[in-house]
Amino acid sequence: MQLRSVFGKAVHDQWRAVLGWSLFAGLLPALYVALYPSFGSGTMIVQFQQLMDQMPAAYRALFASTGLDLSTAEGFLNIELFSFIGPLMLLAVAIALGAGATAGEEEAGTADLLLANPIRRGRVVAEKAAAMVLWTVLVAAAIWVGVAVAAVVFGVDLRLERVAVALVSAALLGVTYGGVALVVGALLARRMAAFGVALMLAVVAYFLNALAPLISVISGWRVLSPFYWYIGNDPLRHGLEPVHALALAVVASACVVAAALIWERRDIRG
Amino acid sequence: MSDPVIRTHGLTKLYGKSRGILGLDLEVRPGEIFGYLGPNGAGKTTTIRLLLDLIRPTEGRADVFGLDSHRDGVAIRHRVGFLPGELRLYGSVSAQELFSYFGHLRHRFDAVDTARIAEALDLDTTREIRTLSHGNRQKVGLVQALMGRPELVILDEPTQGLDPFVQQTFYWLLDEVRADGRTVFMSSHVLPEIERTCDRVAIVREGRLLAVERVDELKSRALRRLELRFDAPVPADAFAGVLEIRDVAVNGSIVTCTVAGPVAGLFRAASALPLLDVLSIEPSLEEIFLAYYGEADHAAA
Repeated sequence: MQLRSVFGKAVHDQWRAVLGWSLFAGLLPALYVALYPSFGSGTMIVQFQQLMDQMPAAYRALFASTGLDLSTAEGFLNIELFSFIGPLMLLAVAIALGAGATAGEEEAGTADLLLANPIRRGRVVAEKAAAMVLWTVLVAAAIWVGVAVAAVVFGVDLRLERVAVALVSAALLGVTYGGVALVVGALLARRMAAFGVALMLAVVAYFLNALAPLISVISGWRVLSPFYWYIGNDPLRHGLEPVHALALAVVASACVVAAALIWERRDIRG
Repeated sequence: MSDPVIRTHGLTKLYGKSRGILGLDLEVRPGEIFGYLGPNGAGKTTTIRLLLDLIRPTEGRADVFGLDSHRDGVAIRHRVGFLPGELRLYGSVSAQELFSYFGHLRHRFDAVDTARIAEALDLDTTREIRTLSHGNRQKVGLVQALMGRPELVILDEPTQGLDPFVQQTFYWLLDEVRADGRTVFMSSHVLPEIERTCDRVAIVREGRLLAVERVDELKSRALRRLELRFDAPVPADAFAGVLEIRDVAVNGSIVTCTVAGPVAGLFRAASALPLLDVLSIEPSLEEIFLAYYGEADHAAA
């Protein structure tokens, strides 16, 4: 393996971990889809729908970021995959890679050696961010492959291009928080702090999106949540809302630029 | 040609505590091997990290090749090889992969030259770096600093962890750099290393520059100790009248003393006695170093 760039090195460093993660990310949704037919078009799903309808609205909101509808495979997938597990898998990989980018080099003590090469720190940030985006997209692709294979094998009626669109939206969400982790990492040079802060902000945004409609004082704030941009429009049913997708892309890009500027200005930890 | 390779003006880096460097004015000329000597915590690593733009000065500036260390950092680092004091390498790649990686980042990867240096140091470049011993990792660090024939080689405590045989190879590699007319800036707290390799030496302590000297002048200017051997015991007061000598110790037929200035008076007095032999004991840099630091601080040596 010949390493030629920071991007290549970052991709090379993480391929084992990301491959393992991709396998898991593909298998789990495949399992959901495989279960759908047996879960059934029959009485069970009706009962489950009734049960969910009886739940307090707040509780229901946490399960389903979009309207609760179990009568279609899309509705089922929205609840099982796109409300929580799917974005979580993408958030985990993006945040881990974002947090490890510059903070990982500084904590490992390799930053001095790397930056003694004729390369701008901003360039290092950009290339590591690119690797983070690539791997997040790859995990999203693995999820799609899992869903697609299971849908074909078990004869589940799903519009796979819409699944892809929803995963694009989820990947954008992941990359946004990966960018947040990148910024915190560039600022503090602490991997765990970067991971923790980004994850915490994601959790806050998740609850804001889920609960805002139920609490009148904060109902207007829902539009501030990246989770709302991700799923508020229900991309699985209605496709990608350009403004929302753009909002995620802009925040993610702004984070990369901010991380680069912050890291350019700071003393490298010795 | 005579423009300095490194020039600092009042270079200052203050940390919260006392660590750092204060008002450093330094000039390193092209083609010289410049030693940067001081005890641990004197600010050597801080200075080097300022030169490489890894940290930014509180005050003052550092120029390398006449370029500003921060603004022109990338252009400078195209021409510099660097060995960090606390070397941390990527564990999951082999030395070969690391050399190729950095070679490409520097846009001047010379596989043949790199292999030659690695071979001289007897380094197995195919093994994952995590499996290498400390000494072998240090070799990896040396190779990546020297490969591609950089115009300026900055070495922070280069012989740490190297066995004596490998140290000899390292000196030989430095001679090669010198023969090319390239420049070396190396820090050390080990005096014989500086004495062995350097043309000039700067002595730093607690963030301040104490002196910059030619290594040979430093040695010649220092006090010499002489040992005179006689055929028979000499009287204790035989040299009492000689003004240029100090610390006289008469021990039977052997007299030792320190000479500051011409030796004529000493030899005039000695010639009256049955003088057999005169030995000159050259001062080590340790002694010179201690002279700069004063008697109070022996920790440095």
